Amino acid sequence: MHDTPIVESFVACADRDPGAPALVWYEREISYGELYRAAVAQRDRMTRLGLGTDEPVGVLAAKSPDAVALVLGCLLARRPFLLPSATLPHETLRTLFGAAGCARVLTPDDDLALGERAAARVAVPPDTSFMLTTSGSTGTPKIVPVRAIGVDRFAAWASVHFGIGPGTTVLNHAPLNFDLCLLDVWTTLARGGRVVLCDPAQAANGKHLLGLLARHEVHLVQAVPMFYRLLAEAAGAHRFDRVEHVVFTGDLLPRRDLQVLPKLFPGARLHNVYGCTETNDSFTHEVDPARLPAGPVPLGDPLPGVQVLVIAQDGTPLRGRGTGELYVSTPFQTGGYLGEWADVGRFGPHPHGTQGVQYYRTGDLVVRGEDGQLVLRGRDDFQVKVRGVRIDMQDIERILLDHPAVAEAAVVAVPDDTVGHALTAAVRRVRGSGLNSLVVRGHCARWLAPAAVPTTVRITDDPLPRTSTGKVDRNLITEQSQPSR
Amino acid sequence: MQHERVITEFIIHEFLPDVGADDLDADYDLLTGGVIDSLGLLKVIAWLEDRFGICADEVDLDPDSFRSVQAINAFVERSLSRPAGVS
Repeated sequence: MHDTPIVESFVACADRDPGAPALVWYEREISYGELYRAAVAQRDRMTRLGLGTDEPVGVLAAKSPDAVALVLGCLLARRPFLLPSATLPHETLRTLFGAAGCARVLTPDDDLALGERAAARVAVPPDTSFMLTTSGSTGTPKIVPVRAIGVDRFAAWASVHFGIGPGTTVLNHAPLNFDLCLLDVWTTLARGGRVVLCDPAQAANGKHLLGLLARHEVHLVQAVPMFYRLLAEAAGAHRFDRVEHVVFTGDLLPRRDLQVLPKLFPGARLHNVYGCTETNDSFTHEVDPARLPAGPVPLGDPLPGVQVLVIAQDGTPLRGRGTGELYVSTPFQTGGYLGEWADVGRFGPHPHGTQGVQYYRTGDLVVRGEDGQLVLRGRDDFQVKVRGVRIDMQDIERILLDHPAVAEAAVVAVPDDTVGHALTAAVRRVRGSGLNSLVVRGHCARWLAPAAVPTTVRITDDPLPRTSTGKVDRNLITEQSQPSR
Repeated sequence: MQHERVITEFIIHEFLPDVGADDLDADYDLLTGGVIDSLGLLKVIAWLEDRFGICADEVDLDPDSFRSVQAINAFVERSLSRPAGVS
């Protein structure tokens, strides 16, 4: 089946109903007609730069209507573009643009030349549109070229699955560089819906999020668990009964946050969506609000065209019950990382046959239960050995989050000569709770194996540091936890 | 009683830096409370050796002796009243 390119669909929407609202940014509403004209202006500006055919450009833009127009301009020009987080350190950005072969970097109202030497000669795969980056929560961001046809296929699936069309309003919480935008911004704009853009500067402000939902009649919310936690803390007695679909993704949703969702969104269907930047969404599971699962929410069913493998520790495909690493192949996925990361061994054929299908090794551990359902067990990166005991740091985080005075928690492992790894827990306490490390340690000791009780407990009233894609910045927390001596 | 204050200060400095000295009861169970683990126990003992000149080789290192500030104080008093060089 041929899916219409999203940019053509967007142009068709602007053609059909130029007065229809496309974006909401603070108190401003931008129509399809206005957005189309701004996108064309961006494309024309790009044309005047005299770039080579298929030469990629860098896009450096914090979220705004102008930034959306700039991305649409790149799509109109059918030019590959790297869209990293604008908040990355200068040096990292320079490295990334260079590695993607971008000699020119565009902002909504300016452009800068990085110089020929800075840009590597990289063969960007044909049909590349977006080039996203991984979150870098465990290292330098890697460049993920996304195929235009993959985006079109995804928009075709997502718009039907979540009923996105003219008259639909979608809240966009994620930063513009995050793969979640392929659903909430780009699919919505390709189908004539309205996107309420949340300013990244306000993304951790629960009151602001509450205001966005209360002021605009939002039908679809997609966000990482942190969003729902912040919203629940700020919501009080507020209810959002116009919301039809609530999508949580990007991380495990703690059970107590799941329990809040049916109360906050009494009319909504609840969807757990699993995906990665490399493959886009791969699984979806609808949770029955009347019968919340007692354990973790299952990954659910593969999206149409998605193939799934679970590889056991011995390297063989897992049949029946057990634990293994999740491999997926999706109709949306990248062909591989760009440049120096091309050979990191995350992509490959089925380890035992089936020619022609390229799988992505997710690094996520999953458990297949009696009922055949897959449940996310954690990332292999989150497992460390402490005093010879294998510890999953996410288990500790879950236990910490069970404590009513814990608002956010992250556990990191710092290499230690004595014990292998020393665990540090960073905890943001609920304001006014007076929570201290004595209570946290007592709580941990009650529920965890002795080796899993963190060696260091740091209590704060400030939000935990986040990466550009909204995940807890474990690198930074680890750095802050290194002994100073 | 006499060493409880300095022991409390040490425990807080080492394991509970955000906790006030008054918030740690002398009989609080430090082992089941997750404050001191087996590694922490070694730290406590090293400090006792340093601070009070107790030779740990010569005394019985029963974890129960370190269960609370009170217990550690009793352990220190017992050890100090023992004639030096006699095991």
